[in-house]
Amino acid sequence: MLKELKLYPKYVSMSLRSGLSYKADSLIMMISFGITEVVSLATIYLIVGSVPQFGIWTFGALAFLFGFVLVPKALDHIFTDDLWILAYWAIRHGDLDIYLTRPLNPLYQFIAKTFKWDGIGELVVGVVVMCIFAPQTGIVWTASGVIGLILCGLLGIFCFTGIKLIFASLAFWVKNAGIFLNTVYSLSGYAKYPIRYMGKAFASIMFYVVPFGLFLYYPIECLVLGTTIWWAVLWSAIAAAILMTIGFTVWHIGIRRYESAGNS
Amino acid sequence: MIELKNVEKYFKKPIRGKGVWGMFKTLFSRKHTLVKAVDGVSFTVDDGECVGYIGANGAGKSTTIKMMSGILTPTAGEILIDGKHPYKSKERNAVLKTIGVVFGQKTQLWYDLPLTETYELLKYIYDVPEDEYKRRIGELIELLDMKPFMDAPVRTLSLGQRMRADLAAAMLHNPKTLFLDEPTIGLDVLVKRNLIDAINKLKTEYNTTLILTTHAMSDIELLCNRVIILDAGKVLFDGSLESVKHMFGDSRDITVRTKSPVDCDSVKAKFGDAILKSDLSDGGHNVTFTIDAVKLGSGELLGHLLSQYEAEDVKIAETGIEQVVEKLYKKTGVTAEGSGE
Repeated sequence: MLKELKLYPKYVSMSLRSGLSYKADSLIMMISFGITEVVSLATIYLIVGSVPQFGIWTFGALAFLFGFVLVPKALDHIFTDDLWILAYWAIRHGDLDIYLTRPLNPLYQFIAKTFKWDGIGELVVGVVVMCIFAPQTGIVWTASGVIGLILCGLLGIFCFTGIKLIFASLAFWVKNAGIFLNTVYSLSGYAKYPIRYMGKAFASIMFYVVPFGLFLYYPIECLVLGTTIWWAVLWSAIAAAILMTIGFTVWHIGIRRYESAGNS
Repeated sequence: MIELKNVEKYFKKPIRGKGVWGMFKTLFSRKHTLVKAVDGVSFTVDDGECVGYIGANGAGKSTTIKMMSGILTPTAGEILIDGKHPYKSKERNAVLKTIGVVFGQKTQLWYDLPLTETYELLKYIYDVPEDEYKRRIGELIELLDMKPFMDAPVRTLSLGQRMRADLAAAMLHNPKTLFLDEPTIGLDVLVKRNLIDAINKLKTEYNTTLILTTHAMSDIELLCNRVIILDAGKVLFDGSLESVKHMFGDSRDITVRTKSPVDCDSVKAKFGDAILKSDLSDGGHNVTFTIDAVKLGSGELLGHLLSQYEAEDVKIAETGIEQVVEKLYKKTGVTAEGSGE
């Protein structure tokens, strides 16, 4: 574990420098991720802006929720984007071979090799939106609330990574798990909206099955309602622990079934 | 020391239906065919040995190498490298530090960066001390003639350069054992020759155990002293390079060009069944005898021919392992094809 941590800066620097050959590429990606999110926030405004309030949710509070969802999502995107390649490509094409022959955790090697700095676009939009709308949410800001929110954001990264790892690792069985990962990951988009009003069945799925609602929506709901955020911190921590454990387990069982690919 | 004990690797392939409905059914069906890529392979390789591991496409060579280098987990049986299992998560790291792997069809080099960057990373991964690293990388650059392209991004290297660079990457941590999976694939004759020379030098310099798969038999003849032939997942032959030739017929082609036509029948009558085949062309002026080298020395036949006829030209060709293997594949090829790797 220590070795992995010590090596990480080396990996980041290599990834950044090899990205320099495709500078324009990454810049365009970063800007377009940012623009996508701004446009989708504008869409929410068009829909919600015509009604003054949506249950407990004002537009300001919704925008704040929107910004918060982007933060763990963007950070996960920056650090573990190659899980997408694992799902779609790497297992099917036998690309794990070279990582498995080196005396270092293969999952770590696979993920660490890409530091996707274009995710900074999303991150900046998320943080800026949160700062702009924080005063308009009607939330009474306390130190405990801010710390709790930051913790929820950090734990959210692990929840995202865990979910991605679980569904990407399915590729050890189905070879191309991209479609599963994509479907599940898209559900995170719904956490930007008031899930409670989307029907009991859907809300339950979003809270207990693929818990995007639990670690993205619930913390902000606590703040808006004025109840303590520490329940949300606890639930986020539990979700992160469970999702990461399942993720690592699926990976470990899967890697034993890894078939590589024939020489052709 | 490397020990393989009754190693098996089976792949389950689901039976896929045709069309969309068939694909859907496949998702829920447990029907599958069992492909026995490696089917009960046992052998032992001692330290410092150089083993050529050959077989037709789909015979299970790469699968075996991948099991020995920690990529695949055997379905049954056991692989021990100096007493440890390369595929068990607790023992992996210890084993992997002592081996190096080169895949001809894959590179472990960082695609967009100069070679030195990959080597630096490997230095950290394998815990090579700084001074040891400097000394070794210097030696490897020298030996593999890599100076001209050390600072170019890997994506701009030619295949021959890339292969040498990959070889250096695999040798950086001074592995006890080096696995080479088709290292000369796609290389031109000259580059191939240089690479083989370099591997030979590395091998003698560092006394590395070498396990090599290839389809180019010249590689084997130049590098290995032992050959293991694999067919349809089973070991067909395991022995010295000399004995493989013997076992499958050690023959010589002796071609003589003479001023007057050669009387084949009288030669055949004299040497009997030691002459396997004779080929006349150019109205008997050019004749090729294929002889069994065990029964008849080439010198004896040549002496006889030269005493009877005035020769313009003489050529002796030894049957290479190439011909031996070709013969072998033809005999068993039907079973090997399509068994998949």
